[in-house]
Amino acid sequence: MAKVNVKWALMCSAAIAAIYASGYYATINQAPKDGQVLVFQNGNQQYKNGTFYGVGSNRRGSIQVAVTIQNDQIVNVEIVDFRMHYSIRDVVGKPEEVVKRQSANVSNVSGATYSIRAFHDSVVNALNQATRS
Amino acid sequence: MMESARHCIRKTKIFMDTIVDIQVVYAANWSEADVTIQIERAFDSFRLVENTCSRFEPSSELMRLCAQIGMAVPVSPILFEPLKFAVEIAAYTDGVFDPAIGRKMELQGFDRNYVSGERMNHIVDDSASYRDILIDEVNRMVTLKRSMVLDLGAVAKGFAIDLASVHLQEFEGFIVNAGGDLYVGGSDVEGNPWRIGIQHPLHEDEWIDEVELLDMAICTSGGYERKSERDADAHHIIHVKTGVSPTEVISCSVIAPFAMLADGCSTALMLLGMEKRKEFIEEMGVKVMLLSPDLDVLTIGDDPDVV
Repeated sequence: MAKVNVKWALMCSAAIAAIYASGYYATINQAPKDGQVLVFQNGNQQYKNGTFYGVGSNRRGSIQVAVTIQNDQIVNVEIVDFRMHYSIRDVVGKPEEVVKRQSANVSNVSGATYSIRAFHDSVVNALNQATRS
Repeated sequence: MMESARHCIRKTKIFMDTIVDIQVVYAANWSEADVTIQIERAFDSFRLVENTCSRFEPSSELMRLCAQIGMAVPVSPILFEPLKFAVEIAAYTDGVFDPAIGRKMELQGFDRNYVSGERMNHIVDDSASYRDILIDEVNRMVTLKRSMVLDLGAVAKGFAIDLASVHLQEFEGFIVNAGGDLYVGGSDVEGNPWRIGIQHPLHEDEWIDEVELLDMAICTSGGYERKSERDADAHHIIHVKTGVSPTEVISCSVIAPFAMLADGCSTALMLLGMEKRKEFIEEMGVKVMLLSPDLDVLTIGDDPDVV
């Protein structure tokens, strides 16, 4: 292992210890998580609770997402697989945006039409599977 | 064979305007559910650091600190530690690296909240420096002597990687990869050392070099990833004194035992001139791979063959 100047490495390990060794982590871990406290309009649940997988594809490739729903809220969107001919950077921020907007309609990015469309389709696909019949 | 007993889980989420990809290699004595819990805890580190240290979120602790001028403010460890570290590097580089640069970044067009799309435009002058940030280590308080927008972009991601890695230490192997800045622990699914490619700055799918890493972080800074919308020559690393982006090095990869150290060093090294660079690398004790505009890789730091 390369020798590391003790001062700078110590500062880094002290920084980690300040979070975990001080009991600080235990206190914050009980607080509710941001972005997950959302209110929904009606009592009739539109969606089933759980995680649903959706795929969106077009001639430039495919994207698979996992959409997690709790009490009709989209609480998490994860990109499970990305096989577009473009950079995954094109859809960076989009899963968070879905959670914030509670909809598959995300803002467009120039030059990333196919990726965005595939991403949108994958979320719609997952929501369709979550829809109560 | 031991190898056949190894399993792998991989999950990807978005934090800090970046793809965060976590891979865990675990032995059969772990259940998939328990591994997933640890991975979620690792992701929570990113959420926590982002919510605390973002300059794009008016309600973040960092922005609330920026709103209080001239008074000592008690600060949580999640903000205090990366800020203190950034100020130390700023002092060591005599302000070439500076966490008080947030306003200059906004003026260059790095002002957009990636989740909401909202643009930031804070009414502060852009002349504050790290010298206006007073750190009280004993009481863990911070005093800003002038109005400024703090920017912890060069250290916060590394810090989040380090915090996330703590939750994964017990596994046979893992990688926490946040947009190409990563920490590597243990070994891969076959029991071999992880091999990490270094991205070619021009060709998306090519590697310019490859390294084997064990319990090490590697962070790469380069001007090729995030360009300014306002100035074609400008990218997301800006020299405080000249206000322009450096061009003599295309990218700089730093290998260090902590991601916060590697992250901070890679940004600082993009800004330092060649003559200061060597001294800085020796002081930090890190291994560095610099990529010149004609795509030569220059390795600096002790023992080029190790790590």
